[in-house]
Amino acid sequence: MAPIWTLQLHPISFQPSIWVSKHQTHLNFMKLRPEFRFISSSSSSKQLNRKFVLGANSGSPSDPDEPAVKTQTITVAVKDQLSKWHGTINSFPPLVFVMNRYGGRNLAIGLCIAIALLVIAVRVYAARKLRYRTPGSVADLVRRGQLRSDRRGISRPLMYEDPFNNPMVKVGKSNSTVEMCGKVYRLAPVTLTEEEQAIHQKRRSRAYQWKRPTVFLKEGESVPADVDPDTIRWIPANHPFATTASDIDEDLAQNNVYQKHGVPFRIKAEHEAMQRKLEALQSEQKLNNLMIDPRNAKDFERPFKEHPRSREQVEQSSFNNQTSDSMPPTSDPAPISVESNSSSEETQKL
Amino acid sequence: MLSLHNPFPTTPKPSINLNNSTPPFSTTFKPHFPNTLKPPKPHKPHFTTKTQSLLQYNRKPQLAGETPRVVVITSGKGGVGKTTTTANVGLSLARLGFSVVAVDADVGLRNLDLLLGLENRVNYTLVEVLNGDCRLDQALVRDKRWSNFELLCISKPRSKLPIGFGGKALVWLVDALKSRQEGSPDFIIIDCPAGIDAGFITAITPANEAVLVTTPDITSLRDADRVTGLLECDGIRDIKMIVNRVRTDMIKGEDMMSVLDVQEMLGLSLLGVIPEDSEVIRSTNRGYPLVLNKPPTLAGLAFEQAAWRLVEQDSMKAVMMEEEPKKRGFFSFFGG
Ligand SMILES: Nc1ncnc2c1ncn2[C@@H]1O[C@H](COP(=O)(O)OP(=O)(O)OP(=O)(O)O)[C@@H](O)[C@H]1O
Ligand SMILES: [Mg+2]
Repeated sequence: MAPIWTLQLHPISFQPSIWVSKHQTHLNFMKLRPEFRFISSSSSSKQLNRKFVLGANSGSPSDPDEPAVKTQTITVAVKDQLSKWHGTINSFPPLVFVMNRYGGRNLAIGLCIAIALLVIAVRVYAARKLRYRTPGSVADLVRRGQLRSDRRGISRPLMYEDPFNNPMVKVGKSNSTVEMCGKVYRLAPVTLTEEEQAIHQKRRSRAYQWKRPTVFLKEGESVPADVDPDTIRWIPANHPFATTASDIDEDLAQNNVYQKHGVPFRIKAEHEAMQRKLEALQSEQKLNNLMIDPRNAKDFERPFKEHPRSREQVEQSSFNNQTSDSMPPTSDPAPISVESNSSSEETQKL
Repeated sequence: MLSLHNPFPTTPKPSINLNNSTPPFSTTFKPHFPNTLKPPKPHKPHFTTKTQSLLQYNRKPQLAGETPRVVVITSGKGGVGKTTTTANVGLSLARLGFSVVAVDADVGLRNLDLLLGLENRVNYTLVEVLNGDCRLDQALVRDKRWSNFELLCISKPRSKLPIGFGGKALVWLVDALKSRQEGSPDFIIIDCPAGIDAGFITAITPANEAVLVTTPDITSLRDADRVTGLLECDGIRDIKMIVNRVRTDMIKGEDMMSVLDVQEMLGLSLLGVIPEDSEVIRSTNRGYPLVLNKPPTLAGLAFEQAAWRLVEQDSMKAVMMEEEPKKRGFFSFFGG
C-alpha cells in the first residue's frame, strides 16, 4: 500500500516527474496489480508525469478518498494544460478500464448470486410441484379412494391440537384481543346471564305452544279415535315428496334397520321367490337332467326379468361397505321387486 | 369470534391438570416454536421430552355428556349454513378423534354429500335400509379422509319416504348405531332441512341437543326464535347457536347486528361465530370442507373452535368484535 500512498500525494507535491520516475520502476517491479502494469505500458507518450498521476490515482480504487483526488487531478489537467488535452484523453482509457474492471466484477458477482438464488427457487418450486404431481404415486391411490389415507399415514394428523392456542390463533395477554390469521380483533365479553336465558325461555314457551306431530294424515282423511288432534300433521295430498301411505310394515322396517349381518331381507325374499319359480319351471318342463345349481340357475334368470347382478352385488358390497367409487350409477342394484310394489318409487334411480 | 378459552384456565379441566401436575412442564406448555405449525416430534428418545410433547400433542377436548350425542343442526330459515356447519363441525369432530355419523335429513334437497365430496358414493340410503334392500352398514358412506366419519342420507332425491315414518326410522337408526359391533359413534349429527315441516320433525325426533344456525339479520332471527320455541316444546333443552356469515367490518359500521345483539334477541348461549368467508364457497365447489384447508382460514378455525366447544358442552365467553390495527413488528413481514 505504501507506493500507492505516495503516488496519490504527487499532485499536491508538484514534483511529479521525479517521484513517478522513482517509483515507476518500483511499481513495474512489483507487478502485483494489473492496473499498474497497464499504466506503465501506456507511459510511452510525452506527458508522462501528468498521465501517470491520473493513471496511478485511478489505479488505486481501494482507497477511500480516491474520488476527491481524482477529480482534483482531472481539473488540474484540464485547466493547466488545454494544449495537452490529447494526453488527458489518452490517459482516460486506463481510468475507464479500471473502473469497468472493478465495477464489472461487482456486477458479475451480484448477477451470479441472483442467478443462483433464482435457480434454487425454481428448483424448489419444481420439486414441490413434482412431489404433488408425481403420476402414479400412492397418493393417487388415496385420491382415488383405493387406500385410506389415515391408515397409511399419508394424511398428516392435525398439526396443532388446540384451536384456541396455535400459531394462527393467539389470545392477547390481557385477554382483550385475539390474533387470528394475522389480524388482531378486539374481544368483547359475553354478557348473557342464566336469568336472561330463563326469561327468554319463558317468553318462548308462552309464544309457541307446539306438540311434535306423530300422526300424519292426508287432508281429507278421518282422525283415528285414540289420537291427540294436536299431534296430527295434515299433509297436502299433492305434497312433492311425502307420502302418508304407509304400506311398509313397521316392524319389518325396524328389523331391517337393526339387521347387522346376512343378506338383506328383500334381497333374500326375492331370491327365494326366484328359486321357487325356478323349481316350478323345472318340474314342469321335466328338466331332470339339469341339476339345480346356482350356476345353472343363472341361465333362467333373464326370462323372469330378474336383475341378474343384484344378489352378487349386494354380497360384494357387504364387504365393500359402499366403498366402490367405480360402481357406475347405472348399475344401481336396487332390484325390481317381485313381491311388493310398495317400493317402486324408492327404487327410482337418481 | 373466540371464547376466551384460556390455555391456563382457573377452573381446572382434566386435560390441563395433566399439564399442571407436572410443574417442570407447565411453564413450557406453550409451544416454543411459535412460527411453525409443526408440533414437536412425539417420538423423542428422551423420556421427559416425550411425555411433554405427548401431553401437548394429545390435548383433546373432553367429551361431555352421554354418547352417542345426537345433535340436530337446524335453523328455520333456509340457506343460512346448516349444511356447511354440519360438514365442517362433523369433520372437525372426526379429526379430533371422535367417531361421527352425519345424517342428511334433507329429504327433498339433500346436499350434504356434495359438500363432503361423497356424492358418487351414495348408493343406498336409509329408505333402502327400511325396505330391506340393504343393511344399515352398507348405507353408511365412510369418508376416506377420516375413516371415523360416516355419512348417511335419508333418501334419494325424488324418492318418497312415508311421512311420519322418518322420525321413527331415525330413532331406530340411533338405536342400531348404539348397538353396532364397532361401538357406538360419539356423535350423530343431523342436518335438518329448512322450515318446520315434516322434514324438520323427522330430524329433531331423535335429537337430544340442537345447534341453531342463524345469520345476523332479522328474518333469520325471527325464524330462529320460532324454531327454538318448537325445540323447547319438544323437550330439547340444550340449544346453542352458531352465528354464521358475520362481517366484522359491517358490524363496525353499524350496518350489521353484532353477535351480542343477536344473543340479546335470542337469549341462547353461543357455540360459535363464523365469519363470512369466500373460502366457504370454494370449498363447496371442491367438495372439501373448509376445516381441512391448509393453512387454515378464518372460518375454518371458527368451525374447529365450535366443534371443540360442542364436545365439551362449552359456550363462548367472549366474542370477536372489530379488527384492531395491528402493531407491525419487524418480523410481521415474515408472517410472524
Ligand atoms: N360463512 C360463510 N361465508 C360465506 N358463505 C357462506 C357461509 N356459510 C354459508 N355460506 C353459503 O351459503 C349458502 C348456503 O349454505 P348451506 O347450504 O350450508 O345452507 P343451508 O342452511 O344448509 O341451506 P338449506 O336450508 O337449503 O339446506 C352456500 O352457498 C354457502 O356457500
Ligand atoms: Mg342444507
